[in-house]
Amino acid sequence: MSMKGIRIEGLKKRYGSGDTAVDALKHVNMHVEAGEIVGLIGPSGSGKSTLLKCLGAVIEPTAGKMVLGSDIIYDNGWRVRDLRALRRDRIGFVFQAPYLIPFLDVTDNVALLPMLAGVSNAESRKRAMELLRELNVDHRAHAMPSKLSGGEQQRVAIARGLVNRPPVILADEPTAPLNSDRALTVIRLLNDMAQKFETAIIVVTHDEKIIPTFKRIYHIRDGVTYEEKGEGRSPTEMAT
Amino acid sequence: MKKIPFRKGTLTLFALIIPLLALFAHVALRSGPLAPIPIVLTAVEHKSITPSLFGVGTVESRYTYKIGPTLAGRLKSIDVDVGDTVKADQTIGAMNVVDLNDRIAAQEAMLKRANAQLEEARTRHEYAKTQSFRYEQLYTASSATEELSDTKRHKMMVAKTGLDAAQEEISRISAEREALIALRNDLFLTAPADGLVVARHADPGTTMMAGQAVVELIEPDKLWVNVRFDQIKTRGLVAELPATVTLRSHAQRTLKGHVLRVEPLADAITEETLAKVVFDQPPVPTPPIGELVEVTVILPSLPPAPTIPNAAIHVVDGKLGVWQISADKLQFTPVVTGDSDLEGHIQIHEGLKAGDQVVVYSKDPLSRRSRYRIVDQITGETP
Amino acid sequence: MISLAGRDIIHSWGKFVFTGFGLGLLIGITLSMAGIYRGMVDDARVLLDNSGADLWVVQKNTIGPYAEPSSLYDDTWREIRGMPGVKQVANITYLTMQVAKDGSDVRAMVAGISPGTPGTPGWPPLLVAGRHITRSHYEAVADVATGFKLGDVVRIRRNHYTVVGLTRRMVSSNGDPMIFIPLKDAQEAQFLKDNDAIRQQRRRTAANPAFNRPAVPGLLEAAVATQSVNPFVNAVLVQVASGHNPLTTATSIRRWKNLTVYTRAQMEEILVGKLIATSARQIFMFLVILSIVSSAIVAFIIYTLTQGKIREIAVLKLIGTKNRTIIALIMQQSMALGAIGFVVGKISATLFMAPIFPKYVLLLPLDSVIGFIAVMIICILASIISIRAALKVDPAEAIGG
Repeated sequence: MSMKGIRIEGLKKRYGSGDTAVDALKHVNMHVEAGEIVGLIGPSGSGKSTLLKCLGAVIEPTAGKMVLGSDIIYDNGWRVRDLRALRRDRIGFVFQAPYLIPFLDVTDNVALLPMLAGVSNAESRKRAMELLRELNVDHRAHAMPSKLSGGEQQRVAIARGLVNRPPVILADEPTAPLNSDRALTVIRLLNDMAQKFETAIIVVTHDEKIIPTFKRIYHIRDGVTYEEKGEGRSPTEMAT
Repeated sequence: MKKIPFRKGTLTLFALIIPLLALFAHVALRSGPLAPIPIVLTAVEHKSITPSLFGVGTVESRYTYKIGPTLAGRLKSIDVDVGDTVKADQTIGAMNVVDLNDRIAAQEAMLKRANAQLEEARTRHEYAKTQSFRYEQLYTASSATEELSDTKRHKMMVAKTGLDAAQEEISRISAEREALIALRNDLFLTAPADGLVVARHADPGTTMMAGQAVVELIEPDKLWVNVRFDQIKTRGLVAELPATVTLRSHAQRTLKGHVLRVEPLADAITEETLAKVVFDQPPVPTPPIGELVEVTVILPSLPPAPTIPNAAIHVVDGKLGVWQISADKLQFTPVVTGDSDLEGHIQIHEGLKAGDQVVVYSKDPLSRRSRYRIVDQITGETP
Repeated sequence: MISLAGRDIIHSWGKFVFTGFGLGLLIGITLSMAGIYRGMVDDARVLLDNSGADLWVVQKNTIGPYAEPSSLYDDTWREIRGMPGVKQVANITYLTMQVAKDGSDVRAMVAGISPGTPGTPGWPPLLVAGRHITRSHYEAVADVATGFKLGDVVRIRRNHYTVVGLTRRMVSSNGDPMIFIPLKDAQEAQFLKDNDAIRQQRRRTAANPAFNRPAVPGLLEAAVATQSVNPFVNAVLVQVASGHNPLTTATSIRRWKNLTVYTRAQMEEILVGKLIATSARQIFMFLVILSIVSSAIVAFIIYTLTQGKIREIAVLKLIGTKNRTIIALIMQQSMALGAIGFVVGKISATLFMAPIFPKYVLLLPLDSVIGFIAVMIICILASIISIRAALKVDPAEAIGG
């Protein structure tokens, strides 16, 4: 696999048809390399959510092309058959709220994904433990999500997003409920993980605290993306 | 890799679920049709039993005198009432026959007339005799004819017959008068024996038929009990057997008595045998005639034999028998039963020996495949 | 793969256990209802079993003695005894009445049993205490359900009876406990009028000039005596000798004696098919209603539980959980709830409900198995609404909004 990361070309999304049709996405081009972390910024109604859903393989675009690693996901109406498996194996999600499964402990919350993919329980848990250790929450491995602090929950969520080693992670407002320090910590972790696991990370945000950390930023307005160079400041420095 | 640790919630859940499942298993197996049947065992005893017969009867008087007039008439007076005791020959009342005295007066008048007729016949006879004697002498003296003499003698004979007839007529009238007087004397009702008045059917002024009872008299010290025994249970009932009698009014007190006789006639309709039982001591106070009594006749004791309670007897496939436990399985042993007593013991002639254990009570019907549980007694009503 | 349903149940066990208990009480009532029906049928059967008869001979054209009044002369048995194939016959009377003891009374069916030995038709086949009747008067064997104890003295009409034995499960088809007394006493109890009525009757007879003729002393007494006989019984129980077909014997009695005869199967048909048919239908309706209520409750509870997990389900779907896994999650929870409910229901029905019901509740193992299957089916059906709701959840809901 020489090609990594995610590429989107000419993505369009039209809701409805005829006179009432709304073009949520008009022309979207994006590419994120493996190990790279980019920001996606846009006001409400700009098509940001729709783009995220298309990226997350939850809704299908009307037209355009999306390539994940070396695999074509959409190509002008064609799509891979099993979006569910695609989501499970190739895309990691990190949400605004951690959305951990409340009745599973930390390990199983993370291990659930490989398990769903058919990996044995023991192997899944082993992978989960490795990631938790990586994210410094292994001491809470057997706690229930409700017992964790907000930051710990978000780390577990990141671990879950990473556990299947997806080529791309979509992070939807991952820092919104966190204070400045914690938000930067999360970004730092995402940065670390992106490099470590060679994952492309798209962070959808309007959090002013973290925008300066991105090297590249996509703005989206009225369904059209504009690429822009970011400040690219180190979150570690910003925190101090 | 660590094994999954048990959290508090899990432990609590198990703490609830495990007893619940245990209880469920208990409930499923220990109640309802799958549950073992509690049974009570008893040992066959080798003992003698005293069978008895039980019957119900009524107190009756041995002799009942129904006293009433011998001819129709009006009851003039009655001197006794129910509950009075009377002596033999005591006058207890009188009848009034309306024309009896007149008829006696008529008889007396007729008697006087008969006496007068007798006198007349005698006078006539005297004269005829004198005449006959005189003409016989005259004939002897040949002063009169033989024919005349015979005529006079004949007249004398006729007069003699007339005299006899007059005398007989007096006897007749006297006898008739005597009869009427006797009748008048019999209008007094008299007691035939010492006794107690138990019924008074009429009051003065009532017109009575001949033979209708005015009062009833019994001899209170001569009571007996007329007992009825179900024919199916009269084996061994003979005279002279001792008996106990319980009056309905004195359920706690038993009186002693004995069988006087077993009636030769049984009651075919009610399928009962009748017997008379007399008291050894007259009961005090005297029970009312007709009071219901329970009589238990005690038969001679039987020689000892294996004996079980009658509750142990069951019928399986038309055979009488008992349930026993053999090699932890229930087993039905047919038996031949003998006599039993009123306390529910029954002798076994065949099938069991003393010391054997038999099932006497069980909570449910038993079969050879039943599971059982031996208990001391079956209590409560749980399904 | 771990069991999501199991983890969820363990996580929120309180909700499940307490809901399960509530549901369990409902299921317990449902099981008890079925048990009451079984009990009624069993009541009818034990009544027939306990009588020990193969044939019931009753008044012509009646379905007596249990379902209709029937009366026969008490010497009818003699002619039946002589029929071919008849092994044993016994008169019997049945009368449902109040039996008094110490000022309170109990509704009971008084059976008058022929004198004889244990095993005579009509006699109670088994005792739990005491002994059988040995005297031909004033003794009684009572069912424990009457509440009487050994040695108690009870009053039936004007006579007092000593309880000498106790039986169990000797009930009429209405579930009234039975009391066995000697036949002659029972005839008296059934046909004898009360004292006042007898006195009135005598007064009327005495006032009738046809019976009270001065010229015929004793006629009145004779007339009164004929009025107080009671030569009737309700039925004659017949045991057929082994080797004879009860049907053949029944046919010959029917044909030659002009009486109505029922076999065991016909009697059961009368009792179960006619006498308790309405009650059975009523109970069946209760069963249906309770089943509907139970399924509505299960459906509601599962729906509420699922609604509380909508976000988690969206997340699960987003991260690629198969529909099958989600269906299994909901259905397993529903079935677990049903299982807890069934266990609690069975326990409560057996230990708490059955003993307090005044009627006999017979909980058959087969009914429990059927009940369990029914509960499971109800739970599966009840979870369908929730499953549909869960499948409709858009995984996109987990993202942003």
